[in-house]
Amino acid sequence: MIYFDKVSKVYSPTSIALEDVSFTIAPNEFISIVGQSGAGKSTLLKLLLVEDWPTSGKVFFESNDVHAIPKEDLPLIRRRMGVVFQDYRLLPQKTAYENVAFALEAGGKEDDDIKHDVPQVLELVGLMDKAWHFPHELSGGEKQRVAIARAIVSRPDVVIADEPTGNLDPLNTLEIIRLLEKVNDLGTMVILATHDKEIINSLKRRVVTLEKGRLVRDEQRGRYVL
Amino acid sequence: MAMDKITFRRILKWGFLSFFRNGVVSAATVLVISLSIFMIGAVVVGSTFLSGIISSLEEKVDVSAYFKTSAPEARILSLKKDLEALPEVRAVKYISADEALLAFRERHAGDDAILQSLEVVGANPFSSSLEIKARDPSKYDAISKFLEKGSYGDILDADSSGQKKITYRQNQFVIDRLSSLLSTSRRIGFAVSLILAVIALMVAYSTVRLAIYNSRDEISVMQLVGASRAFIRGPFLVEGVIHGIIASFFTLVLLYPAFWLIGKKTSVLFGGINIFQYFVSNIFQIFFILLVAGVLLGVLSAYIAIRRYLKV
Repeated sequence: MIYFDKVSKVYSPTSIALEDVSFTIAPNEFISIVGQSGAGKSTLLKLLLVEDWPTSGKVFFESNDVHAIPKEDLPLIRRRMGVVFQDYRLLPQKTAYENVAFALEAGGKEDDDIKHDVPQVLELVGLMDKAWHFPHELSGGEKQRVAIARAIVSRPDVVIADEPTGNLDPLNTLEIIRLLEKVNDLGTMVILATHDKEIINSLKRRVVTLEKGRLVRDEQRGRYVL
Repeated sequence: MAMDKITFRRILKWGFLSFFRNGVVSAATVLVISLSIFMIGAVVVGSTFLSGIISSLEEKVDVSAYFKTSAPEARILSLKKDLEALPEVRAVKYISADEALLAFRERHAGDDAILQSLEVVGANPFSSSLEIKARDPSKYDAISKFLEKGSYGDILDADSSGQKKITYRQNQFVIDRLSSLLSTSRRIGFAVSLILAVIALMVAYSTVRLAIYNSRDEISVMQLVGASRAFIRGPFLVEGVIHGIIASFFTLVLLYPAFWLIGKKTSVLFGGINIFQYFVSNIFQIFFILLVAGVLLGVLSAYIAIRRYLKV
C-alpha cells in the first residue's frame, strides 16, 4: 500500500509543484495519474522514488515513511519498486539481457535465478530474440519493453511508469499499456502517469487528476476530463 | 556493508566489460594517465640522476694543505686527528712526501725528461700534505680558516708572500661557485618536480572526472533500480585499476627510448655518466613506482569523481 499524506512540494513561492495532496493506493490497483504538463505528476513520482524531498507531508510505502529511510537502506526499498521512464533510461553499455539482469544482480540474486528469470521476462515482453542487442540497436518501443522487463524482473510490489508512451507511436503505445495491464493482472500495483487521453479512456481504471499541484478528481473507472 | 563474493565477482566483471566497451574513452584515459606518470617517472629518474651527479661532483672537490719539509710527522698526524674531529670534515687523507714522490713518478712514468730532472734535484722536492674532504662544499671556507688560524699555522708551508699553501685559497672562486650552483640546482630540481607532479595529477583527475561525468545518467538509473553505492562505484574503481596498470606498462615502453636518446646526447656532458644505464639498472624499481602511481591515480580519481554523482 502507498499513502500520500498531505504532501506539498514548493520550489519557490511562485512555483508550487504539489499542494496538500493526499490519497491511498491499494496493493493490486492500477492507478493513472493525469494532468497537463507541470501539473505535478512527475514530482509526485519523484517523491515516491525518494529522488526528491517533500516540503511538507509524508509519503508512506507500506508502513515506512520513505523519506525517513537511511540513505544506505534506500536501495532495499527501491528494489521493491520497478520504474519505467519516458526516455527509457536503459544502461547504454549493456545489452537488453544485461539491463534486465542488472536489476537482479544489484539485488544480490544468485546466478542460477538470474539465468532462469531474465529470459522468462524477456519472453513476456516479446524480446527474447533481441536479448543481446544494445539499446542503440533497438527501436523506441523495444527499448520501452526492455525497461518494463527490467522493472518487473525483480517482482516488485509496484511498477511506476512516468509517461512511458510519451515518445511512442500509437501502436507501440497500445502494446506498452497492454503490458502494464498484464503486469497488473499478475498482481502488481501499477502507477501510470500520463496525459494521453486515449489511454485513460480505454483503460477504465482509477484515475487521479492533478491540476496546478492540487488533486482535483479521484474516480474509480475514471475518464480523462480537463 | 560487507561485500559478499558474488557481488565482488560481478563488480570485477562489469569493470572489465565497461573498460572494453568504453573503448575510446578507456584509451583516452589510459593515454592521459600514461602522460601523467610519464612525467612522474621522468622527474623521479631525472632528479635521482641529478642528485647522483651533484654528489659525484661534490666528491671531486677537496682541499689540500701542504707542510714545510721540516714539519714533524707526529704533529701532522695530530692535526689530522683534530680535523677529523670537526663536524664539517668528512675525510682526511695523509700523503707523506715519499708517497707524493711515488705518485708523481707513476704519473709521469713514460716521461724521461721529467724523471731525469727529478734525479738532478736529488732530494725529494715534494712536501707532505693532508687531503681534506668536507661534508659539503660550503664548509671549505671554515676548514681552511681553521688551518690558517689554528695552532698548526707554523708547520704549514707558505709561499713568498706569506700566503699559506692551502689549495682552497687558490681554488676558492671555483669551489664557491660550484657549491652555490649545486645547492641551487637541487632546489630548482625539487621545485620543478613538484610542479610537474601536481600538473600531472590534475590533468589525470580531470580526465577521469570527465569520463565519469559522461556516465552520470547511468549512475542515477542504477540507483533507481536499487543498486547499492558500492555496487555502482565498484566497476569504476576496477576500471581505474586497469587504466593504471596498462598506463604503467605503456609508460615504461615510452620511457625506454626517451632515456636511451637523452643518455646518448648527454653522457658526454655529465662526464661519462649515462642516464640510460641508470634507468636500465633500476628498471624494476621504476616500474614499481609507475605502477603504484598509475593505479593510485586511476582509482583515487575515480573514487573522488564518482562521489558527487552518488547523491540521489
